[in-house]
Amino acid sequence: MTALLDIKNYRLDIGTFDGPVHVLKGINLTVNRGDTVGIVGESGSGKTVLVRSVLGIGPRNAKVVEGSISFDGQDITNLPEKDWTKIRGIRISMIFQDPMTYLNPLFTVGRQISDVIAAHEKAAGTGVSSKAARRTRTEDLLDQVGLPNPSMLFSQYPHQLSGGMRQRILIAMALAGKPDILIADEPTTALDVTVQAQVLDLINSLVEKLNLTVIMISHDIGAIATVAKRCAVMYKGEIVEQGMTQDILNRPQHEYTQRLLAAVPDIDIAPEKVAAEATAAKPSKPGHLLEAIDLKKVYRSQSGADFTAVNSLSLSVKTGEIFGVVGESGSGKSTLARMLMRLIEPTSGDIIFDGQNISGLSGEPLRKMRRHMQFVFQNPHSALNGRHTIGDAIGEPLRIQTNMSRRDIEARAEALLDIVQLPKMFKYRYPHELSGGQKQRVCIARAIALNPRLLILDEPTSALDISVQAQVLDFLQELRSELNLTYVFISHNLAVIRQICDRTIVMKRGEIVEQGDTEQIFMAPREDYTKALIESGRKTSQAANLQV
Amino acid sequence: MLTFAFRKILTLLGTMIGIAALTFVITNIAPGDPARLVAGPNATEDMVATIRSEYGLDKSLPEQFIVYMGDLVRGDLGTSIVTTRPVLEEVMRYAPATLELVFVAMFLGIVIGVPLGMLSAVYKDGPLDQVTRIFSISGVALPAFWFGIILQLMFAVDLEWLPVSGRLPLVTRPPEFVTGLLLVDSLIAGKFSTFWVSLQHIILPAIVLSFPCLASILRVNRAEMIEVLQSDYIVAARAHGISSFRIVALYALKNAMLPTLAMIGLRFGWMLGSTVLVETVFDWPGIGLYAVSSALSSDFKPVVGVTLMIGFFFIVANTLVDLAYAWIDPRLRKA
Repeated sequence: MTALLDIKNYRLDIGTFDGPVHVLKGINLTVNRGDTVGIVGESGSGKTVLVRSVLGIGPRNAKVVEGSISFDGQDITNLPEKDWTKIRGIRISMIFQDPMTYLNPLFTVGRQISDVIAAHEKAAGTGVSSKAARRTRTEDLLDQVGLPNPSMLFSQYPHQLSGGMRQRILIAMALAGKPDILIADEPTTALDVTVQAQVLDLINSLVEKLNLTVIMISHDIGAIATVAKRCAVMYKGEIVEQGMTQDILNRPQHEYTQRLLAAVPDIDIAPEKVAAEATAAKPSKPGHLLEAIDLKKVYRSQSGADFTAVNSLSLSVKTGEIFGVVGESGSGKSTLARMLMRLIEPTSGDIIFDGQNISGLSGEPLRKMRRHMQFVFQNPHSALNGRHTIGDAIGEPLRIQTNMSRRDIEARAEALLDIVQLPKMFKYRYPHELSGGQKQRVCIARAIALNPRLLILDEPTSALDISVQAQVLDFLQELRSELNLTYVFISHNLAVIRQICDRTIVMKRGEIVEQGDTEQIFMAPREDYTKALIESGRKTSQAANLQV
Repeated sequence: MLTFAFRKILTLLGTMIGIAALTFVITNIAPGDPARLVAGPNATEDMVATIRSEYGLDKSLPEQFIVYMGDLVRGDLGTSIVTTRPVLEEVMRYAPATLELVFVAMFLGIVIGVPLGMLSAVYKDGPLDQVTRIFSISGVALPAFWFGIILQLMFAVDLEWLPVSGRLPLVTRPPEFVTGLLLVDSLIAGKFSTFWVSLQHIILPAIVLSFPCLASILRVNRAEMIEVLQSDYIVAARAHGISSFRIVALYALKNAMLPTLAMIGLRFGWMLGSTVLVETVFDWPGIGLYAVSSALSSDFKPVVGVTLMIGFFFIVANTLVDLAYAWIDPRLRKA
């Protein structure tokens, strides 16, 4: 059997201001017809550049140094643009990470899919079929990817659809040309847990039904394991290990793979050590640090329709605990978090911090109160000002809230860098010189600069790689016992919640579905929604922790 | 969409009242006694007092304001001292010439600016991009009166290809009044020779007026296109096999047009104001020239009338831009 796709000793440089960067270093990968191949690796490992090169849509200033890519016997390494039209989207097609940004917001779904069909017909030289024919074909495709009511969907715009629906539409587009190879670039990363499971199921069923060859790349080894029979592990532009997925999961050979697998949080393992620590810490500081009573947030759209983001929600966070908030996107987690800090005004309800009702505070008293509660944002890349040094960023709260001298602030910033385990010299650096995990540490250092009592962490690890996530989670737990902090920890990732939180609330559409001790919720969920959530989370988590 | 349009029109009315109030304040801040000005240098105190009461200038400011607004609602912009004719009538007579000039200039700005911006984004840092960069910087930097005179010297005086100034030669009879726009009216009347002559007259002032506008449309469209072309949905469209031409000219351009439209709306108002200079250089009989000659003879009612008129067209243009926004972007429509 000849290989459908053969990548041989492929080396790629990207020209930058500081000279060429070796992005891919001698990649060898063979994909046969009917294969499902996964490529796992962290951000920056070169996996996206690799698959985009297969489609001829790599970065502009990229240069092939050595090696070749051949597809179905044809060398496509340096194919001219006009020859790509017969391959791109037709024989090899691709689905992407974030279904919101990969659909054009100004065109209807139907228009976008029929355009793809028309482009393929043009490339095949068969002449473009009529509008009605393309519409029928589009509706068939929408039906094929399991979307309800295709004829209505046809004239809808991307913003009117949910994330899962948009991803299905992107898959429908990719299937329009009846491709030989489907490349899936992190197809589930931007989706909710329950939707992730559905999309992976869909890809699996399409592989069977259409005899597709799939190359899927992801940093989530669980998602890879669900789809791919074979798998390659990429690290710093090289494939460090490849083979059957099961073998790699059970007997990882390379040191990096071993580290990666160890870092995957397991939804089914109760974190005994942490739980014990937490119970030991509790009696010393009793009482509630933060309470919310009947908190409500209603947004009014311009047309006058009301949307209730958070509905009559009450909760109390004990001093010294890690309080988990879990839910899918749109469940009101972030709105809740921002209301607790009064970054968003609640429509009604009270927020009591350390015995004081802060919902009526404004101006100077509110500003003073803020030093006791700090926020850590989801995406460390956008939470730091690119034109300020790290030292400036960490010193900022001190400059705003205290009268410390410049020298004292400098010394404190160094001490804070020490606490978050970063070298002191980092204070002279700029954010772009740091990795994602380092940036998140800087954000945490900034948050603890004023010795707050409460940290609200809004998905602090979602934008980070798995191995980095594990480090940050460990570090957060250490920090808590060192500085007597209380956390409100928001996440959509159940395994992370289970690993770190003492008590947890499960949110759905602005309301609490279930609350209690984290272990109790995971061992014996009472509500159907919680059960479904845990079940979908388990699917990818288990796949990653296959023990045969 | 209809409620959206309705709300926009309400905003338009509110802004009009604001502009009217502002012009009232400005005329009252201006130094000098209008009654004495009207009466002339040799008038006696009695005559000035008579004129003062005749024009209602002896009343308190709030009273004057109510009278002024009441007049505006009835479409009464006062009477010109020099021509002794109603200002509204005069402004309406001169407005079509200015609007025609602005429309042609705007047309040039869009038809040349948008594609050039698009091309210089696609071939970023290439030779075309460098040329358009110089072109657009000079477009913003060259003063209109200087550029206008240079064009007159080159094309009208030296080469004698085009007329130096004016809207029509004295010997040509203007076509029957329908819209007031000569290019349109001559076509309606079927007089192609008149159309050709008026086209020759409008071309130089339109180029001068459109140059800065063209430059800013080009730059905004280029910047937006560069940004849009890097976005995820463009990568996806390429991956799905859509042709490069279609991606640039349809998928990307529609997205890039949103900020460009905002620039067009702003530039429209700016152009109406700039006609004061361009019309003076080219002796173009529009409201700009009318405002200048009135101001020179201390005839302030026409100046206020022209200001209101420009404000009105500016707001209408921007309302149209807002509606076009909603038409292009479905996300704005639901509001």
